[in-house]
Parts: sequence; structure tokens; C-alpha cells
Amino acid sequence: MAEIDIRMTVNGSVQQLKAGAGRTLLSVLREEAGLTGTKDGCSSGDCGACVVILDGQPVNSCMVLAPQAEGSQITTVEGLAVDDELQPLQRAFAETWAFQCGFCTQGMLMSCHALLMSNLNPTREEILTAISGNLCRCTAYQGVVKAVEQAAAEMRSQDQNRHE
Amino acid sequence: MNDSNIVGQWTSAPGAHDIVTGKARYCPDLRLPGMLIGKLLYSPHARARIRHLDVSKARAIPGVFAVMTHEDIAGENSYLYAAPDQPLLAVDEVRFQGDAVAAVAAVDEQTADAALNAIEVEYEALEGLFDPLQAMQAGAEQVMSGEENVMMSRTYRSGDVEAALAAADVIVENTYTTPWAEHAFLETEGGVAMVDDEGVVTVWSSCQAPHRDRMQIARALAVPESMVRVITPYIGGAFGGKDEAHVQIHAALLACAAGRPVSLVRGRRESILTHVKRHPFIVECTTAASSDGRLLAVKVRAIADAGPYTNATHEVLNKFGEFIGGPYQVQNLEVEQIGVRTNNPITGAFRGFGAPQAAFVYESQMDDLARKLDIDPLQIRLLNGVDTGTRMYTGVVVREGSTMKESLRKAAEMIGWEKRNQSERRPASHLRRGWGMATILKGSGLGRGLADHAGVVLEMHRDGSVALRSGAADMGQGIVTVMAQLAAEKLGVDISSVRVVRADTARTPDAGASCASRQVIVSGNAVLEAAETIRESLMTIAAGKTKISKDRLELKGGKLLVDGEPHALSVADLALRAIAWGYPMHAESRCHFEYPDDVPEVTYKYSQEIFQFCTHIAQVLVDCETGQVTVERLVAVHDAGKMINPGGVYGQIEGGCAQGIGYALTEELVVQDGHTQNASLENYVIPMALDLPELEMGVLEVPEPSGTPLGAKGIAESPIIPTAPAIRNAILDAIGKPLYQLPMNAERVLAAVES
Ligand code: FES
Ligand code: FES
Repeated sequence: MAEIDIRMTVNGSVQQLKAGAGRTLLSVLREEAGLTGTKDGCSSGDCGACVVILDGQPVNSCMVLAPQAEGSQITTVEGLAVDDELQPLQRAFAETWAFQCGFCTQGMLMSCHALLMSNLNPTREEILTAISGNLCRCTAYQGVVKAVEQAAAEMRSQDQNRHE
Repeated sequence: MNDSNIVGQWTSAPGAHDIVTGKARYCPDLRLPGMLIGKLLYSPHARARIRHLDVSKARAIPGVFAVMTHEDIAGENSYLYAAPDQPLLAVDEVRFQGDAVAAVAAVDEQTADAALNAIEVEYEALEGLFDPLQAMQAGAEQVMSGEENVMMSRTYRSGDVEAALAAADVIVENTYTTPWAEHAFLETEGGVAMVDDEGVVTVWSSCQAPHRDRMQIARALAVPESMVRVITPYIGGAFGGKDEAHVQIHAALLACAAGRPVSLVRGRRESILTHVKRHPFIVECTTAASSDGRLLAVKVRAIADAGPYTNATHEVLNKFGEFIGGPYQVQNLEVEQIGVRTNNPITGAFRGFGAPQAAFVYESQMDDLARKLDIDPLQIRLLNGVDTGTRMYTGVVVREGSTMKESLRKAAEMIGWEKRNQSERRPASHLRRGWGMATILKGSGLGRGLADHAGVVLEMHRDGSVALRSGAADMGQGIVTVMAQLAAEKLGVDISSVRVVRADTARTPDAGASCASRQVIVSGNAVLEAAETIRESLMTIAAGKTKISKDRLELKGGKLLVDGEPHALSVADLALRAIAWGYPMHAESRCHFEYPDDVPEVTYKYSQEIFQFCTHIAQVLVDCETGQVTVERLVAVHDAGKMINPGGVYGQIEGGCAQGIGYALTEELVVQDGHTQNASLENYVIPMALDLPELEMGVLEVPEPSGTPLGAKGIAESPIIPTAPAIRNAILDAIGKPLYQLPMNAERVLAAVES
């Protein structure tokens, strides 16, 4: 399979990565960029463990062929914390036990992060819908809802402070 | 430890930061220099003779470093520790669809796939045995030649069942069927192996029993156990499915053969096809009662389809029989337990270990009985429930039984049981609403007569920081957090001062498997004991320095307290001096858990005696046109003894309830002639966020008196057990028709509606 190079901006830095024609974005992020925070739970679009944010939208990276991501902006779980400082969403996940084994967590975080980018006041229903493609077998869905609510509240008050 | 700011408080898990930043490494995330990709070739047949196996073409492919068949295994070619009858690589016959035939290691995924494709296997397909009822007939062909298909047949009897049946006013007799269920841990099985500079085979394993893995790997490699090291990285769920070894032994074999590190991680389809499932059961059950609803006798015949190999079939059937009487006062009980070999999927441990199948039977029987007698389901359970001091049909005496009835009452109150009939039972012409409950007991610990122990090493350094080394695998259930809390509490430091070294056979003592809801008890006790040694050193120094007697001193939040007031000396100051003066600041402890010897003879083998009692009540809405069941509410009241880590306790309850809803309504491995039809997360349907009601959870805390840490109990298994029968009884209440088969999917519910 011919190796081709693709360019994308991953967590803010421009990267040139090798990608054979058949390779998925998930595999290129994990194997070429070394970003193993993004997980592979099924390779078939069924679990959401591989969700990353591609040009502002959460996508299952196992279902995106790498060349399709050429020129795009990607955020993975490694790109959430700034200078090792946790975002409110990450902190809330840790505090509310929004996970047990943590294998689904990065996908959950990215789905919830995408939600909060567009909606800082989500209802329970909206949160559940945002994570409806993310399987969690330990099942910490209620913890995730709590975490998103907590993070949203914190982000709203941060927003308010900024505007005052 | 009453006004604790650690034990019983919500606290982040020690690994939480790594998890939310993506730094936590699970097996598939490990990268080693020169690492190869390992893969296994599996049988396409449920049963076949291997006529010819030729790997020479695969070996010749550039980039292929190892191709192994059974002939290349130097040591024992078997997986199973209990009954070593499953080969790592098949010899002359494959007996289920997931039997591995060959293993390869190559530079990358594509080359490994090419190697698998180049392996030539000539099979002679044989007719398989797929129906356990046929396989157990005399004269049936043997699944394993030389071995009876009926691998286990045992009857346990207590009291006089026949006499009680003859004297009974009512009898309920039914046959139940339960499916194969899949763990669907989000991280599939994986192992990464390398040989280090000293020749030690080092294996990172996504497992529940690292020290047992080490033994199995050493046996397969024919090397001393001292030359094998097993490390657990982060583990993405297990639920019993990673108790038995899976691919970590193959990874070790390949790494040795290839001379390079090997990563072997199963894909999802492969995972579903190959690892153990919850045993499917066929259960005939006769329950007899007096006209006022008192249970008089239970008679059971249970047949478990084991698949071809033994694995945990004896133990699972044993637990089934131990709990089939439920949390009730019944004394006359007979249970026949039969395990049968077939060419269906292999079976083994899965959260609850035989108890979920049992609960589906006994709690369904309870409601059928209640209906027949026109007694309220809550009342019939309260009437028959055990109490503290009840001697059960197993001979076990319930040491603390108050939560049996307490959990029923509390759950009834939470759902509004008495007022349920004021709700709309028929919100639309095609919709029916109903309520159902189930109450159960499950034990924690391995059971009476089995060696149940765990070790831990604790060390406090000069700066007051603590290293806690434990061989207990944390698969997400939270034992690492519990141990850190107990150590921090006892030593008077913040939980952030405790670093837990995750299971690593070279650095941590054996804690046994993380199974049977046992680690909180055995590892928890070991931590407390080791911490006590170090605490004593700190207190001796403190008393010496302050000239104040120990009973006025306390260690808390990193400080020394005198009569509750902070003193200038910190725990770190004390630690520095204790180390300088050579007081013990490094302690190893091993808890051997023994039940108190305060009971007459326990007649049932390996009985557990620390009980979690719990009750679930479901409110369901049944669509009579489609058969669709919606769980509108689920109340779950659980007994945790003493809650050490509330985040973990509520997490385990929520997770168990969700898995229980899946077991009740959708989860079923569809197997035709030994071939699994739904080996994907698309077609094996586990609950997603939108499928679940907002769970209403209650926790009871009545300390366990058997000598567990602070009275805590394991909570891991009980939450999955009552959910399915509670939903079944709610469906019965809604549509007036009983179901006897899991899962109660739309098709089966519709059939019941229309019957
Ligand atoms: S790995 Fe992409 S959806 Fe499961
Ligand atoms: S926390 Fe384990 S799968 Fe979600």
C-alpha cells in the first residue's frame, strides 16, 4: 500500500503524518502521532471509544479514513488540558466518578467537550444524546451527566466573570 | 475512624488524572522498541479434526518473526489452571469456534494478517454436539474423547423435600432458560510481552489474576516462575471475563520465539468469539408453599452448557446451588447440578458467577407463587426472608441479616410500592405499566474451606509519603482507591500522599484474583494491618517527643493532633525520626481471611458467609403492539456493610444495574450450530446512555461482623443479580403473563402478550 503523507493540525500543532490509503484516522493518531489516549474499542463505529473532534465535530476516528482528515483541525484527549492544567470537564469527570475503568473516558470527554463548545447549559436529555454513541460497560453514565452539569456550571460562571 | 475525612468520603481515584488526560496506558497503548504484532489463527469450525497443518509458507514471508503451532510449545499446552483441558494451540482437533490453531508475530498488522492467510490447515469437519440435552444422553458421542460429556453431576439435599412437597398447599413448577452473555469489557483482551536483559519474560497483561498468570506463563514456557514477571497496566474492565488467562500466554510464547517484544490484542469480533461467556442454564424448578405463603420446599434441576472445556463450570454450578434458595428461610431443598460438554462457546466467570441465573429462577418463582396465592409480592418476601441468626439450607448461619428486610422496605418506600396502583396502569390502549421486585443475597470472599488471602507491602518515607504495593488487579472496580483510602486514614496523611504501585509480580505481593467481591476484604485487611505497624512507630516517636501519652495523640491530615488540636510536629517529622531511629516503617502483611468459628457444621461446600442483601424494584412500560419494554424506573437498594469509597460503590451499583437491564432485555449471544451470529457491539446490544432510566440508588450501611475492614463488604457482584427478575416480575404485573426465558426481548414479550 502506497504510503502518503497527510498534514493536519493536531492539538494545535501542525503535523505531517504517514498514512497508507487504507488507514484510519484512529490508527494514524495512535501509531504515527503516538497519541494513544484515543482508544479502539471495536474498530467498527459501534462504541465511541475513538471519538476525536474533527473541525469542531465529534467523530468516530475509526470510521474516518486518514486522507479524509487532510488539512483538518483535530483535538484529542491529550489536547484538552492546557499546560497540564485540567479543564473543568476533566476535573469534574475525576470528582464525580464519571468512569470506573476509564477506557471509554476519553471518547466520553470528547463527546461532552463538543457539546459544551456549543451549549453551556445542556439539559440531561441533551447530555445523554451527546453521549448516545459512547458505550460504557462499567456504566458510569450518571456520573458523566453529573460531571457535564458540574463543568457547565463552572464554565458559565467563568464566562460571567470574564464579562463583568 | 468515625469522623473520617477520607473513608466514606467521595475522593478522586488515584489514577483519575492519568485517565482524564489520556496518559493512562492500557495494554494496547504500550510501545516497546522493535515490538511486533501478534495474532492468532482460530478455527472456522465448531468441531473438526485437523488433518494437516503447514506453516512453512507463513514462516517464509519477510517480516514474519515467529509462527507457532502446538509443536512449538515447550511446556504445558493448556490454559486452564483448574482443569487443564483447553489447549493454548489445538493439537489434532478443534472443539469450538474459538480454538486457536496457530500464532504468528510479524512487523506489522498487514504482515501478520498475511502470515495467518498463508497458514495451510486442512480440516475434516465433524458433526458437533450443540444441544446439552442431547449431549448428556447415554451413548452420545464424546466432545472430548475419553471424557464423559456430563462433566459434573451432583445433588445437594437438605431436609425432606418429597415429604414437604406432599404436604404443600400450592406448588409452582416451571422451566427457565438463560442465554450466553458476553462481558463486553470495553478494552478487549491483550498482552504485551518481552524478554528483558536478564532473560526475564515480562508480560503486561489485562487480567484479574497477575500472579496466577505468572504461573500459567511459566508452565507454558517451561521456565521457572522466577523468570516470569507479570505487570498489570490500566485495565479496561473485566467483570470476570479476564479471570482466566486469554492471550497473555500466547504473547509470552511469541516474544520468546521471535526474540522481540510482541503485542497481542484481540479485535472485538475475535474477543466475542473466543473468550468465556456466562453459562446458559436450563432450570426446572418446583417451589412449594403453604396457603399462607410460607415456603416449604424447593426442588431444582439445573443443566449448564459448559462448551467443550471445564473452566469454571464446577464452581459456577456450585454457586448456583448455594444461592438457589434465595434469601429465604426454606430448609427443604434439593438441587441437582449438571454440567455438560458441547461444541458451543466456552463458559466461565462473569459477575455474579451462577447467582444471576439462580435469582432469575427463585425470584420469578416467588412472584408466580404470590399471584397464585393472591399475596402481595412484598409481603411474601418479608414473610419468608432470613434474619440475623437464620440457619440456611446450606448450614450457613446469617451473622447480620437485618438488611434483607430493610432493603425490601427501603426499596418499596423509594418507589412508592403501596401507592403504585394510583398510577396509570394503561396510559394508552396499547401500553401497560407494571411494577416488580426481586431481592437476593450474594456472598463476598472465596468461601469456607478455601484459602483466601492477600498480601500488601506498605512503606512510609522520610517526607511522609507512602508507597503501597499490592498485587490486586484493579480493572476499574476501584480496589486501588479503597486501599489508598484505608492506608491514608490509618496513617493520618492525605490520600494524595499514598502512591499505589499497581500489580507487578516482581514488586508486589500476591493478592490472588480480583474476583468474588473479595479484594476489599482481604487486601483491605492487609492494608490496615500493615498500616498499624507503621502507625505504631509514628505514635511511639510522637509520645517520646511530646511526653504525652499515646491515647491523647492522633494522626490526621498530615499532622499530629494532641487532644484534637494540631501540634507543631507533622507526620513527616515523625517519619523522619522513626526512620532515623530504625523503627519499622516498612511493613508487609498478609490477611488470611477465616470465618469466625461460631457456627455448627456448614454442609454446603465452599459456602460464602459474608452476605450482600439487596433489592431492586422496576417500573416498566410494555408496548403490547411491539413487545418493547421500557424500564421507566429502577430502584436499587444495596448493603455495603460500611462504605469506604462511595464513588466506587455507586459506580458498581449503577454498572451492575445497567448490565442487569441488558441481561433482562437484550443481551444474548446468538449461537447456531456452535457459530456465534452476533459477534459485534452492533449486534450484541448492551445498554447505551439513552436506554437507561435515571437509577435511584440507596445504600444501607450495617457493619459486617465477620472481621472485614471497618465492617465493609464487597459490592461488585450483587448489583447485576436482582435486575432481570425484578423486570420480569414487572412485565408479569403489566401484562399478566409470565416469561421464563432471558432475555425478554420484544419478540418474546410480544409472544407472551399474544399467548
Ligand atoms: S473504536 Fe471507533 S467506534 Fe469503537
Ligand atoms: S468506565 Fe469502563 S467502559 Fe466506561
